[in-house]
Amino acid sequence: MIKTGYKTKKAIGNVFAYIFLILICIIWLFPFVGLVLQSFRSYATEYGGMVSYIVPKQFSLDNYKFMFSGETNFLLWYKNTVTIAFFVSLLQTMVILCVSYALSRMRFAGRTLLMKSWLILGLFPGFLTMICLYFLLKQFGLTQAGAIPGLILVSVASSGMGYYVCKGYFDTIPKALDEAARIDGASRARIFFTMTIPMSKPIIIYTALVAFMAPWNDYIFASYVAFGHDKSYNVAVAMYRWMNTNDYQGYFTRFCAGGVLIAIPVTILFMFLQKYYVEGVTGGAVKG
Amino acid sequence: MKKKLVSVLLTTAMAASMLTACGSNGGSAEPAADTAESTETTAEEAATEEATEEATEETAEETTEETAEETSEDTAAAEDVDYGTGEIKIWVADNVVDFTKEQFDKFIEENPQFAGYTATVEATGEGDAAGNMITDVEAGADIYGFAQDQIARLVSAGALEVVEDSNAEKIKADNDAGAVSAATVGDTLYAYPLTADNGYFLYYDKSVVTDPSTLEGISEQCEAAGKNFYFEVNSGWYQTAFFFGTGAELTYDTDNDGNFTKCNSTYASDEGVVALKEIIELANTKSFQNGSSISSATDVAAIVDGTWDAEAAKELFGDNYACAKLPTFTGSDGKEYQLSGFGGYKLLGVKPQEDENKLAVCDALADYLASEEVQLARFNAVGWGPSNLKAQGADEVKADEALTALGEQLKFAIPQGQYPGDYWSLATSLGDSVISGEIPADASDDDVKKALEDFQTTCESYAK
Amino acid sequence: MAHGSKTKNKVTLATLLSALGNDLKMIGLTFKEGDIKTKLSFIIMGLGPILRGQILIGLVLMLAQALFFWYIKGFGWAYLSKITTLGTVATQKIKRKTVYGDNSFLILLFGVLSIFAVIAIITLWRLNVAENRKEELALKAGKKLPTNLETFTSLFDKNFDKTLLLLPVTGIFVFTVLPIVFMIFIAFTNYDSNHQPPANLFTWVGLENFKELVSFGNQGLGPTFFKVLAWTLVWAFFATFIDYFLGLAVAILINKKGIKFKKLWRTILVMTIAVPQFVSLLYVAKMFANDGLINGFLKSVGLIENSIPFWSNPMLARITIIVINIWIGIPYLMLIATGLLMNIPEDLYESARIDGASPWQMFKSITLPYMLFVTGPFLLTQFTGNLNNFGVIFLLSGGGPGTISYAGNAGTTDLLVTWLYKMTVNDSNYKMASVIGIMVFIVTAIFALGVYGLLPSVKDEEGFQ
Repeated sequence: MIKTGYKTKKAIGNVFAYIFLILICIIWLFPFVGLVLQSFRSYATEYGGMVSYIVPKQFSLDNYKFMFSGETNFLLWYKNTVTIAFFVSLLQTMVILCVSYALSRMRFAGRTLLMKSWLILGLFPGFLTMICLYFLLKQFGLTQAGAIPGLILVSVASSGMGYYVCKGYFDTIPKALDEAARIDGASRARIFFTMTIPMSKPIIIYTALVAFMAPWNDYIFASYVAFGHDKSYNVAVAMYRWMNTNDYQGYFTRFCAGGVLIAIPVTILFMFLQKYYVEGVTGGAVKG
Repeated sequence: MKKKLVSVLLTTAMAASMLTACGSNGGSAEPAADTAESTETTAEEAATEEATEEATEETAEETTEETAEETSEDTAAAEDVDYGTGEIKIWVADNVVDFTKEQFDKFIEENPQFAGYTATVEATGEGDAAGNMITDVEAGADIYGFAQDQIARLVSAGALEVVEDSNAEKIKADNDAGAVSAATVGDTLYAYPLTADNGYFLYYDKSVVTDPSTLEGISEQCEAAGKNFYFEVNSGWYQTAFFFGTGAELTYDTDNDGNFTKCNSTYASDEGVVALKEIIELANTKSFQNGSSISSATDVAAIVDGTWDAEAAKELFGDNYACAKLPTFTGSDGKEYQLSGFGGYKLLGVKPQEDENKLAVCDALADYLASEEVQLARFNAVGWGPSNLKAQGADEVKADEALTALGEQLKFAIPQGQYPGDYWSLATSLGDSVISGEIPADASDDDVKKALEDFQTTCESYAK
Repeated sequence: MAHGSKTKNKVTLATLLSALGNDLKMIGLTFKEGDIKTKLSFIIMGLGPILRGQILIGLVLMLAQALFFWYIKGFGWAYLSKITTLGTVATQKIKRKTVYGDNSFLILLFGVLSIFAVIAIITLWRLNVAENRKEELALKAGKKLPTNLETFTSLFDKNFDKTLLLLPVTGIFVFTVLPIVFMIFIAFTNYDSNHQPPANLFTWVGLENFKELVSFGNQGLGPTFFKVLAWTLVWAFFATFIDYFLGLAVAILINKKGIKFKKLWRTILVMTIAVPQFVSLLYVAKMFANDGLINGFLKSVGLIENSIPFWSNPMLARITIIVINIWIGIPYLMLIATGLLMNIPEDLYESARIDGASPWQMFKSITLPYMLFVTGPFLLTQFTGNLNNFGVIFLLSGGGPGTISYAGNAGTTDLLVTWLYKMTVNDSNYKMASVIGIMVFIVTAIFALGVYGLLPSVKDEEGFQ
């Protein structure tokens, strides 16, 4: 009798939980559904600007066709962004692994000073230094036409400061393993490459994933470095104009279509690697 | 679990020590005893040094080379008519990129002496051009289109070359007076007028708004149909329709370097009060929406906008497309006023050059792109209203509906002079304060006047 | 606590000074006692090691010195020599031609770079002296010096940290430290729209700009600065803690026994992380506009007559931003909390249940303390991150709506960072932007310290043992 009462109570609790979850999911998905629906609105019959309804009266692929038609450099911008994201992801992961290993495993003069000063440097509002970085890059010829390598260089060069999460993860790998290997005569470099790295799959994937996702959002600095050079834009710089410059009337649905195309690879990647993301972030970021 | 906790403590401890003892002497306090290590540091730091220095050195070399080249070119150019070769970077609005490319080819065809030059045309919005030019003048475009409100900023940043004397006379004679004054800072002509259509008027949906002659009427008809009436009252540009309409004034004097020397404003007056009260009244009507961009507007029945949106408006309203001059309104003092506003211009600027030959080519090209034929061609291609008097008189220009409405409106408008960048943001704040109700719908005349006095004082503070 | 750290600072200062003294003593001693090889190394770096067979070390030192002189002579000196005035040669016109004069910006930038180079060479020189001394002492003691091969292989073993850190540290110096030092210097110059290189010069003005910031007169930015600062703090507080607790709640809900499709719920929420923010936030911003979807919908169903001014009413705009930020923030927290909740030992709950604790009591006395304890440092980084959360404000409201009661063109939802972005991009007012940047830095650092003291993991380190 008591047991059934408990069960009913629990069942009712679960029903509320489900209702609540469904509600949350609707709220969370709404903007994306809106984005996708608008991207299929027919440009020819319903105009490309803003409208006050969400379901298009006529579905069409006009906006997607426009993206691939070559009327704009969309494919080039897309390629630029993928290039940046790929190289930043690759190089940044390497840099972070190196820095984290050195900080986690080795004890050297100035180690704590280094960590302290990097944490403090990280509190400085970064984009104030944009104009300075711009002129530094310009000295190396890495602006305008050379903006892509320039953006990669800047992202990678400062990435060592983001050692925090990865070092936290390395700290959880028992030091005794290292010691044992050293007694067997293995060098530090050997331990790093043959032991530590293979044991760090989640954190490597986490670092690479985070690094890969960032360039898709880079509007401010990318627009600074590439200004006035359409071919060096990334998707964020190019498409931001569609929403905020008067020259692009009726680009709203195109913006939505572009947004969907951009979201696809990142979302797929994220969905597949979500497990590692959670492992990485809980294993390193908060030291659980 | 325990292990993890230990690591938490470690981090905390690490961060704690960082926070309590910033700037401690981690490195330098190390005694020289740790010798093996310091040796290696030496080796590696030296290598770092090497890398950076090499890179910097390279660039230094480049710079010297460049300067050397330039000097030799300059001396050669003095007696030669050979213009050499080069690349001219042009920035224009997105919809005229292809048009400008075609015109450049024609220009080279007509002027074979400049055949050594090529052009790259980039889409850079007329609003962004100034910001980008100022960031780095040297990397900016050689020729660029911009809206006239940027001119003073560009001149003071050294991003505009004075128009060559012979061209200047021709421009002054060929273009309408407002265009010439828009391109003039102090008493120097700094740019080539491109269009005279940077003004605003009313686009409306014939089926909803049957009588566009009064502001009140438009509001009511929009409201009755459940549609929106767009007027961007938080923009320093559209706002003046009210103030200038009642006779309030706001202009600036500039010196030859683009500095603002004097502000002439009568906003803090009875006329100003009538105007601001009308803005307040409009902002509190139900159909009112703040905005001036057709493509981000919804349920539009009427919108105050310019010719650049003509195509979008035609598409949006379809058969019900119509346009007219701005309406009149009955002020709080019972008098009737005609909305006024700015008549503005788009200009083409040439950047100062370190190479005289290139400058000569740029001068010639800018003059060509701003000439009667090209202005007319541009009108036919993208519908930009010409500033050239002869082009304005052409039949096809006269037949254009939007331009006709603009022409009607321009009779009441005031040619836009130079305004400091801060004015635009300040005007936005004023408009936002009205829309947000910070200046309430039932504000007394005194409150309104007080707000305008503050506004005027701040405006005056921009001129030093 | 405060007293303790003060004494500690004093102690560190004293050790620093004595270390410096020891250093100088060592250098003097090295010269006095050193042989001719060592003495020559004082002028030609690395000569001593080379002569003693330490070719690898010696060559690197020598090369560094050569490069330094080459750099300073060919490039650095031209800028370094003008750094006190930031240039005096004005831009001229020769007929129609423009001849640019000194570029104050580049003088300052490469002047600072040259100062860095000088500091680096001094450090190297000191290491060069120390190396000579070490070698000499080792030889005197009859020990053998390491072979060049040994020196090289140690880079992958004992000195592997140097190999690993070389490039990252260099990168940070050139692309982070140098720009920050440069921008701090800008705060002491008059670099603004009227002093734009290359056409115009700018120069040092001392503390002028700081005075302008704290002045409360008609033109001063002071009152506005404090209003913007207040909102920045309020925003960071709400954005951090509301997201935190709601994220935790959602994670607990999904973790609840008897809830099915756990993975599905999580995946749906996580969409907001995966889709680039400039797409999703720009869309959401338009959704909430006066003429946007939300208002349109509410009007069409007759719930409201007039649009809700989500973006045009200052208070409402602030609330809207915080609410939309929940939409962004919950998924992150949910992911992190999910992982962590699984780490809480089940037996803790078990024994609590036997004691008859209600779910709320269990949450209050087990889950929450554990979470706060473990995520303390994370919360801190979230908080400082939110103080500088440029993206959300820029994409949602752009700082608006404006108000006549703010000076310096700040808007009512502007954070300090977005405000200084406007200053640089719209007004080219770099001098004031960098003054505010320094302030932001100070505020962030102070609050990072303050919040840090409140963290349970700092207060009660033994809490979970």
